[in-house]
Amino acid sequence: MSTLELMPDPKIRRSVEISNLIKEYPNPYGDDFRVIENFNLNIQEGEFISVIGHSGCGKSTVLTMLAGLNEISGGGIIVGNKEINGPGPDRSVVFQAPCLMPWLNSFQNVMLGVKNVYPHVTKAERKQIVEHSLEVVGLSDAMKKYPKEMSGGMQQRVGIARAIALQPKVLLLDEPFGRLDSLTRMELQDVIIDILAREKMTAMIVTHDVDEAVFMADRCVMMSNGPKAGVGEILEIDFPRPRNRDDIFHDPKFFDYREHLLAFLEQRAPIKSGTRTFSNGDFMGFVNKEGEDLEDAAREQATSVA
Amino acid sequence: MAKTKDKIKYGLLRLIDLSGFKIFDPPVRLIFGEDPQKQIRDIAKFMVLPIIFLTICIWIWHVVAPTHKTKSGAVPTPKKVLVAYSENSRYGEREQEKVKDFELTGELRIARIAEVEVKLVELEKEAAEKQEVSAKASKEGAAIIQSQIAPLKIQLSQLKGEVKIAKQERKTALETLAAKVAAKEESADAILTLVKQQALTTAAEKERKKTLEAQIKGIRDDPPESIKAAQLAANKVEDEIQHYKKRLDILNGNKEVRKAALLAKVSEAKAELAATADPEVVLAKSKAVLTNSKNADGIEAQKFAPNATIAWQTKRSLATVFVGFFIAAAVAIPLGIMCGLNRIVMACLTPIISIFRPVSPVVWLLIFQIIVGAFFLPDPAKHPLFVTLNSTYWFGWIKNPIAFLNTNPAMIFSACTVAMCALWPALVNTALGVSAIDKDHLNVARVLKLGFWSRLFKIIIPSALPLVFAGLRISLGVGWMVLIAAEALSSSDGLGKFVWDEYQNGSSQSFANIFLACFIVGIIGFFLDRIMIILQKLVSFDDGSATA
Repeated sequence: MSTLELMPDPKIRRSVEISNLIKEYPNPYGDDFRVIENFNLNIQEGEFISVIGHSGCGKSTVLTMLAGLNEISGGGIIVGNKEINGPGPDRSVVFQAPCLMPWLNSFQNVMLGVKNVYPHVTKAERKQIVEHSLEVVGLSDAMKKYPKEMSGGMQQRVGIARAIALQPKVLLLDEPFGRLDSLTRMELQDVIIDILAREKMTAMIVTHDVDEAVFMADRCVMMSNGPKAGVGEILEIDFPRPRNRDDIFHDPKFFDYREHLLAFLEQRAPIKSGTRTFSNGDFMGFVNKEGEDLEDAAREQATSVA
Repeated sequence: MAKTKDKIKYGLLRLIDLSGFKIFDPPVRLIFGEDPQKQIRDIAKFMVLPIIFLTICIWIWHVVAPTHKTKSGAVPTPKKVLVAYSENSRYGEREQEKVKDFELTGELRIARIAEVEVKLVELEKEAAEKQEVSAKASKEGAAIIQSQIAPLKIQLSQLKGEVKIAKQERKTALETLAAKVAAKEESADAILTLVKQQALTTAAEKERKKTLEAQIKGIRDDPPESIKAAQLAANKVEDEIQHYKKRLDILNGNKEVRKAALLAKVSEAKAELAATADPEVVLAKSKAVLTNSKNADGIEAQKFAPNATIAWQTKRSLATVFVGFFIAAAVAIPLGIMCGLNRIVMACLTPIISIFRPVSPVVWLLIFQIIVGAFFLPDPAKHPLFVTLNSTYWFGWIKNPIAFLNTNPAMIFSACTVAMCALWPALVNTALGVSAIDKDHLNVARVLKLGFWSRLFKIIIPSALPLVFAGLRISLGVGWMVLIAAEALSSSDGLGKFVWDEYQNGSSQSFANIFLACFIVGIIGFFLDRIMIILQKLVSFDDGSATA
């Protein structure tokens, strides 16, 4: 692929080291509210990690900290050989909502970041990069379409194209299919798996979906419940790549993995038979987006998982 | 074929939707034969009923207006306002004719003079007829009035006679009683009661007399419509005659004629200069040659200055409001963006916005008259700004397109007042639009590592634009409303001054002109708002217009 030659050498890939990661939100009336405590994780080059856990446990917080969008309160994250400080084009994010600019068409939306990441590249080459990324996600026919003319699935494809056009070292997926119907979700899962197989990026996906976590990842990180959440357990998923949906979904191992994850989640369900296992309601007012609605979300999770 | 038809249909419908005239949607669909029953129902509901309602409103106006008498005559009826409109447009035409006459040269001028003379003869004949009709009408009218008044007059004299007798009777009764009281045959209270009673009776009699007199006066002062109409028609023709006479004057002394006269003087002086031997005459004549040829050159730039017409006043108001509006936008949008981006700037500006926003336009006008007026002292007409804005040519060869506006300090004050009052909605809305930008979009910008400027121009401003334009729309509306008041107060030419002058004039005709101005202001305000709505729709990305 000629366009790929224009991009930085894809062979140099960085592993991710997350050590003793802490996230605290200030609480004006006492101790700070600690959402994440001592989160440790090493990700190999080219590895695909899925993170699963109850709502509000801080999965997304870890991901946004890794993306550089969220301040790190303690500990550190090393990507490649460098400690991260703020966002960078080496880690691109696919958000839960597609987050496209409604006043730009798909091509322009993808071009938005490309211009900054490849400043020395000519206009024609940039155009090639954008077109290639849109082709990869299957949108070669919809380059001139505006977000409002596209379905949610198509919009999310543009979001993925925008992320991979930067040719990142690490691709971060923040519940990317959470708002899509299951058919579209499956299609996009395949798109991501294809891309990752081809470009061999390191990737992390945060998800609620147990099947997704097992099907897509090499390792599945189960997070303990917040506050002070950390890595509860890590499950190695031993399926060969490239993965075929039908094969995997009929593999008995798949059901073992699935059971394992569900058992973990059920065991950690924050509400058991109507009694609250944690009572940090006092903190709710100060918890921002990542930690908000711990109680409601936990209740919802308990019912949906069980 | 059907496809092109559909294309035209949906194109039209989209245009209607964009312009906001939704009520034309059903007729268009009906023409293209889409579900006729539904369309007819919609037309009946949303076109016919409103028209009927408006007709009723106008009818009520027509009926109620004449019943209310004011010091400037009765409140004008819809018909009178229409007449005022046609008269104002005729007035405008006349001024245009004069301007054109002033510029005519050669054959054309001669031909025009002949035309005007023919017209004058016709008009004079017509005037004589109209005068006759009017005289006859007033004679008949006088007879009618006399016949109406006569019985009233008889009543009045009868009343006077009765009153005289009654008065005499009362006097004697009082005297008799007084004598009795003095003789102690009656109590003192009785005479007090009688005096009180008599005072009441006298007052009642006076009241009756007054009523009758007022009736007579009313009939005299309000001659029958036929007389008024005949007089009006005669006056109208007389007016037209005056106009044609004025035109004749202009044609006989227009630019060409004046220039020719001056040039004749120049050649005459030159000839004398060549012929004479007297040094004093030489000096005088050479001076005459110079001044006259200079004046002849000056005439080229001269223009006939027409009287202020309502069309010109409207143009000037529009120019003023747009100057003010653009000043407001130029200040409000950058400031608003800064406010939205930076909370410190917002905190700094909030007190200023909160305190100055509620200040009345009248106060601003007075303040600007003092502050801005100081820049134009001592002689505003010679200030470089106005010299430039009002000169016929810029740099000697670019025709000044705004020379006709006759810019003056009052116009600047009005524009500044408009700007000051229109500033706030645009400022507040821009700040809101910028600060309310979607957090996710900012996150995307951070992940993509966009720099400040591309973040500003690619993400922040586009996403704030719909609210910015919503603010500008309010600003223009406020500006237009403020302008009319500012013009009235500052005597800056424009619709506001037109209304004020008509109010000072105080005749029944000028009352109708005020109503006319009211409609003009309203209709222009409506269209300004529509334009802003269309712009707002074009920049907002939610409703399907961003693709355009």
